[in-house]
Amino acid sequence: MATKLSLNNLHKSFGRGKANPIEVVQDFSLDIRDLEFLAVIGPSGCGKSTLLRLIDGLIPADSGSILMDGRDISNKVGGEGRGMVFQSFDLFPWRTTQANVEFGLETNGVPKSERTGIAKHYIDLVGLTGFEHSYPHELSGGMQQRAGFARALAIKPEILLMDEPFGALDVQTRDILQNELLDIWQKEKKTVLFVTHSIEEAIYLADRIAVITPRPARVDRIIDVPFERPRTEDIKSRPEFLEMRQEIWSILKEGIKV
Amino acid sequence: MTKSHILFLNVTGIVMFLLLWEVGGRIAGENLLAAPSIVVFEYIRLLFAGDMLRELVGSLRQMFVGFGLACAIGMPMGALMGRIRLVDALVHPWVSMVVVTSAAALAPIFILMFGTGFEFRVAIVFVSSFGYVTLTAYHGARGIDPKIIDVARSYSTGPVETYRKVILPALFPYLITGARLGLVHATRAMVMAEMFVLVGYGGLIFQTGQDLSTAPLISYLVTLMFVSVGANMGLGWIGRQLAPWYDSKMSAG
Ligand SMILES: Nc1ncnc2c1ncn2[C@@H]1O[C@H](COP(=O)(O)OP(=O)(O)OP(=O)(O)O)[C@@H](O)[C@H]1O
Ligand SMILES: [Mg+2]
Repeated sequence: MATKLSLNNLHKSFGRGKANPIEVVQDFSLDIRDLEFLAVIGPSGCGKSTLLRLIDGLIPADSGSILMDGRDISNKVGGEGRGMVFQSFDLFPWRTTQANVEFGLETNGVPKSERTGIAKHYIDLVGLTGFEHSYPHELSGGMQQRAGFARALAIKPEILLMDEPFGALDVQTRDILQNELLDIWQKEKKTVLFVTHSIEEAIYLADRIAVITPRPARVDRIIDVPFERPRTEDIKSRPEFLEMRQEIWSILKEGIKV
Repeated sequence: MTKSHILFLNVTGIVMFLLLWEVGGRIAGENLLAAPSIVVFEYIRLLFAGDMLRELVGSLRQMFVGFGLACAIGMPMGALMGRIRLVDALVHPWVSMVVVTSAAALAPIFILMFGTGFEFRVAIVFVSSFGYVTLTAYHGARGIDPKIIDVARSYSTGPVETYRKVILPALFPYLITGARLGLVHATRAMVMAEMFVLVGYGGLIFQTGQDLSTAPLISYLVTLMFVSVGANMGLGWIGRQLAPWYDSKMSAG
């Protein structure tokens, strides 16, 4: 399968005044295949958000390169086929759902007449029909993340970067949104890079899982997830699922000890 | 406490204050402290006599020019100071200077520079409210959640668009707060300045201060208080109308 996004030897450290700079991402290399669902899993604080911010161009890498379909996008901030769903939703509180979803379209210069329809389409897709004119403070956490998801989808990104999008939600909402995400992913045909620290979530959602080491973040191992699609809740109780969970858990534990 | 409890306590407080004032007024006599029972009648008389409202409207008009200028310059400038270090370093010292300088101390210089008319009052009102408007916007801009800026960058939003579509709306609650603070100070400064040069509403207050009865003086002060409180509430109301999310944002911090 073709490579969609290729991360080559990314390095990132943060200066800390007089103390030694902290190495957060070190020699990070990973190829994300076209249209795959790749989960990146690692313990809290290991540098997952930093990695996504590097990929989205929000912070510059110290060295290394990022290639999208072979073209170098290392120094491009945002855009370029990348769409980000943020860890804490981060909707604009002064915009309604509709206006939040239209934000990226506005920036891309899509005329008003087209924006309305496109935004409406994605609002319906994520199940927020009827809440177009609600402000974020009038939405539940789950609904806010749906809106954040629609906002990212609306610009029709080739690759979706998702930073623990369900991390701040309760378990039930999380399960529902996981299934909806899979549905939408099948419909929209996109490459997804999904960051999480939940092992179950990674196995349930992904085609492949990149397990990363605690700070500095590096790819420790890549695991293929064999379960057929569409996935249903019952795979979570299969012995293979539990075995895989155990395997990833021990890899993570090993990493933490070192 | 429920809303009605609070309202009840508010009213009780006011009634107690009025009673104390009435008792104090009876003891002190009208030429020291006119009691509310006397002030009420005097107030109604002044309302119909016309001087009070005419001077007030005239003064407020000029005040709004100075205050409007302070907002028009202070708000965008505070926002820029909060976001761009260079601008901050350049103008922060003199903005701070404006804030700590009392308008009363500047009045004599302004009289020399501008005379005692329109320009004088505009200048006094401007310097007394400009600092509050600017610094509130500045602190708001500094406190903007960097994550929300990241969202804009993630969609490749340019700097001008980010300023217009993200920074200014994020600042909105602070702009309203700054305007409310600025307006209170503008009103005070205007009256004070007018007392220097004996014009307008402040002039009226000063001259009435020479009267035998304190009832008209107190009436003028009450009107001034109504105007301040009313304008302050009005700005809050405008804030909520323009931005339905305003209250939620303010209570969330
Ligand atoms: N701008 C920054 N300046 C200094 N240090 C930073 C900065 N951003 C991140 N770090 C450090 O990098 C490390 C990794 O942070 P990051 O947010 O990427 O972790 P994470 O894996 O996303 O954690 P979580 O699962 O809790 O979201 C942390 O130790 C953090 O202190
Ligand atoms: Mg994170």
